[in-house]
Amino acid sequence: MSIAEIEAETFTLETPTGGLWHEAWRRLRHDKGAIVGFCFVAAFVLCALLAPWIAPYGPLEQNLSLVAHGCCAGPSSAHWFGVDQLGRDELSRILWGARYSLVIGVVAVTVGLSIGSLLGSVAGYFGGVLGNVIMRLMDIMLAIPGLLLAIGIVAVLGPGLFQIMIAVGVTSIPIFARLMRGSILAQRENDFVLAARSVGVPRRSILGQHILPNAISPVIVQATLALATAIIDVAGLAFLGLGDPDPSRPEWGAMLTNTNEYLQVAPFLAIIPGIAIVISALGFNMIGDALREALDPKLRGRA
Amino acid sequence: MLRFIVRRLLLLVPILLGLSILIFLWIRALPGGPAQSLLGERATPQAVEQIRHQLGLDKPIYEQYWAYLRTTASGNLGISIASRRPVTTEIRERFPATIELTVAAMIFALSIGLPLGFFAAKRHGSAFDHLSLVGSLIGISIPIFFLAIILKYIFSVRLGWLPSVGRQDVLIDAEHPTGFYVLDGIVTGNWNAAWDAVKHLILPAIALGSIPLAIIARITRASALDVQNEDYVRTARAKGLSPGIVDRRHVMRNALLPVATIIGLQVGLLLGGAVLTETVFAIPGMGSWLAQAIFNRDYPVIQGGVLFLAIVFVFVNLIVDLSYGLLNPRIRVS
Repeated sequence: MSIAEIEAETFTLETPTGGLWHEAWRRLRHDKGAIVGFCFVAAFVLCALLAPWIAPYGPLEQNLSLVAHGCCAGPSSAHWFGVDQLGRDELSRILWGARYSLVIGVVAVTVGLSIGSLLGSVAGYFGGVLGNVIMRLMDIMLAIPGLLLAIGIVAVLGPGLFQIMIAVGVTSIPIFARLMRGSILAQRENDFVLAARSVGVPRRSILGQHILPNAISPVIVQATLALATAIIDVAGLAFLGLGDPDPSRPEWGAMLTNTNEYLQVAPFLAIIPGIAIVISALGFNMIGDALREALDPKLRGRA
Repeated sequence: MLRFIVRRLLLLVPILLGLSILIFLWIRALPGGPAQSLLGERATPQAVEQIRHQLGLDKPIYEQYWAYLRTTASGNLGISIASRRPVTTEIRERFPATIELTVAAMIFALSIGLPLGFFAAKRHGSAFDHLSLVGSLIGISIPIFFLAIILKYIFSVRLGWLPSVGRQDVLIDAEHPTGFYVLDGIVTGNWNAAWDAVKHLILPAIALGSIPLAIIARITRASALDVQNEDYVRTARAKGLSPGIVDRRHVMRNALLPVATIIGLQVGLLLGGAVLTETVFAIPGMGSWLAQAIFNRDYPVIQGGVLFLAIVFVFVNLIVDLSYGLLNPRIRVS
């Protein structure tokens, strides 16, 4: 019995209506965690999309009179989150920074998800020597602690925002590959696959049209959780000085890091970007968690 | 059991070989190459060629790999470009600090995570249960270095309760026979030094242990919930065993199995997170050393350090797998 099942026991049983996705959606709407997570993520995405219009100042606009007497002017009605060590409005930089975090997360996860799922499906569906080689390669990648692997890749690719996204994405390849392979192996022996094979459906369409859609749900859950991890990891790399080489860019991890030395006089400068990172990561984690329960096929037919 | 151990050890060989190939190729892929990084930007082509010849980089690639494998297997990881000292010597000096930190973080994570998850499962659906779930979600959403900075700001800068940097107060005169400062203090009977080392460990351990704590609490809760509803637990209750005995012997022991596997995987997270934690708290361990090596482009250090940590990680997981057999009698048979 899974936890979700135990938790669901208190509800009354209903007859299944619609497909897995339809039902998952119905369950998600009743999940408080999912709703809160969705609000966090929606706020985050809206900030990223609308930053040029809702930010009160430009991300690079300086008001040096505010830092003339030392760092830094704290929150006020003109600057809700205060100004940073160069007299730039912190709120505006946070809003613009959401763009970077969003792009970072999406690109990194796309890299990990696409390569990992491809390798995992090939290993799962075709198996054999090829499958073995792929999975052993994944084992080797997993043997290197994630952050160190990312650091190593950045060392090869050179510094830069794009390189960091790739590095963080690559570290998540083995997880996606393992998940996909496990999921495909479980689906491969199903009756509908046998039926498709016996009527002569080509292997490629069996994999693409019959197995993948059924095997994808754990991968989607992992992708949501990976978005949170990617945002946190990129911030960590920025903290180690491997981040964006352009210090003027309002990337949250870099903002937190660059204001570290002002911690005693202006702790809000480190705390605000930190909280922004926590809220966006928390949002994705909550959605991922709720999705995992909603997509659990063992729970189908329950409210 | 012996066959199980032997088989697991044999499985390590391809992983370690693959790891060495990966790191070997990685060094070749680095921009500039070792010769350039040794000589600096303005080296003449003749000098670069000479160094390449000295390092054997003009030989065919398989010969280079064989030479690399031989020196590495004999325990020679090269010489740090920055400090001009053997990488193995530096590892020997710094690794104890990282072990001390990761063990402290794991103790923190287990001592809070296990009871938290267990009681959340026992009071399933209660406010405490919900709080623990929300708390663990927040726990995995906080970047380690952010938590470290906040803890340092509150408990050392503001309140002044705990030291903020290093492993031991510089004014304390202590001997270090093992390199593990807490252990050193105990072994030499210098309680003052041991206590000071513990105080230096508290904040870094909390920062580093927060994510494993959250994960352990979640897994413990999930697995205790599963076990609680098993038939044998109902039987144990039905035959009148006291609730304490049922919890300890039937629920806890079985619920711990998935947790044990997770602990091994957490070690990788801890070793990676140590890079960040050690940097914030200026702890002279493997992590801050590697971070510094990346700045200096100190390739022998990065190469040797990453290989060493990866080997440690692989072996920790092997030990976890083997102890799994001890915890779970069913595995020993199959």
